[in-house]
Amino acid sequence: MISIPATIWDDMIAHARELDPHECCGVLAGKDGVISAQYRITNILASMTEDELTTFFEKGKLSDLKNLSPDERADIAFIMDTMEFSSAVKDIRQKELTLPIFYHSHTSSPARPSETDIKKAMDFETMREKLNFPEPRHLIISLEEKSHPVIRAYHIQNSLSTEVPVQRQ
Amino acid sequence: MITVRIPTPLRPMTGGKGEVEATGGSVLELIDHLNGAHPGLKDRICDEQGEVRRFINIYVNEEDIRFLTGKETPLKDGDEVSIVPAIAGGSHG
Ligand SMILES: [Zn+2]
Repeated sequence: MISIPATIWDDMIAHARELDPHECCGVLAGKDGVISAQYRITNILASMTEDELTTFFEKGKLSDLKNLSPDERADIAFIMDTMEFSSAVKDIRQKELTLPIFYHSHTSSPARPSETDIKKAMDFETMREKLNFPEPRHLIISLEEKSHPVIRAYHIQNSLSTEVPVQRQ
Repeated sequence: MITVRIPTPLRPMTGGKGEVEATGGSVLELIDHLNGAHPGLKDRICDEQGEVRRFINIYVNEEDIRFLTGKETPLKDGDEVSIVPAIAGGSHG
């Protein structure tokens, strides 16, 4: 069980609502099963050019995205700003925290990892151990039902996701 | 020699290899050398101005080069360089 303080839990929902219909994203960290830090990270997808998209996404996802306007692309995907992400990681290390959670919102689908979520999580998995980065969990805020946001977290391993219980505290 | 870790999306350009060896006195030189052995790789890492793309992180050992001296970051024999795409995901497939 991972405990998330009410202030951080509620701020993730606020973050998702502020950016709706775009997906929001961010990072949480803590220790001993309790989250204590949150970092909102910019979703840079809407500001990416077609050329940039082509170098980032595989063909399948790319054709989905290319059919949309740049603004609409951020409705169905996110890419974390790398500078903000690295600053967050630096701060997490300075505070001697771990338990990293990558969070993002689904504005019109359930709180479970999509194929792209799983694929990108596995891509990161092949790199992170060598970087001495602790194994993350993935949390999704669903705004499918706007008045009833749903938060669920997952451990993604070997291309499979297993739900990890989280509670607002 | 410097060990370079290649992320999954770029492995088609390195014949499927997740690690390649290269030389270079700086990150920029290393990328140029990599591009010699694996043409097109630089394009995926750097934009037209030669700057590292904003959705790519490059780490020398465990440090992001943005906190070192960017693409001018010096490299020495035995260093490990990791090319890591930004954290990303999506919904609807
Ligand atoms: Zn997702």
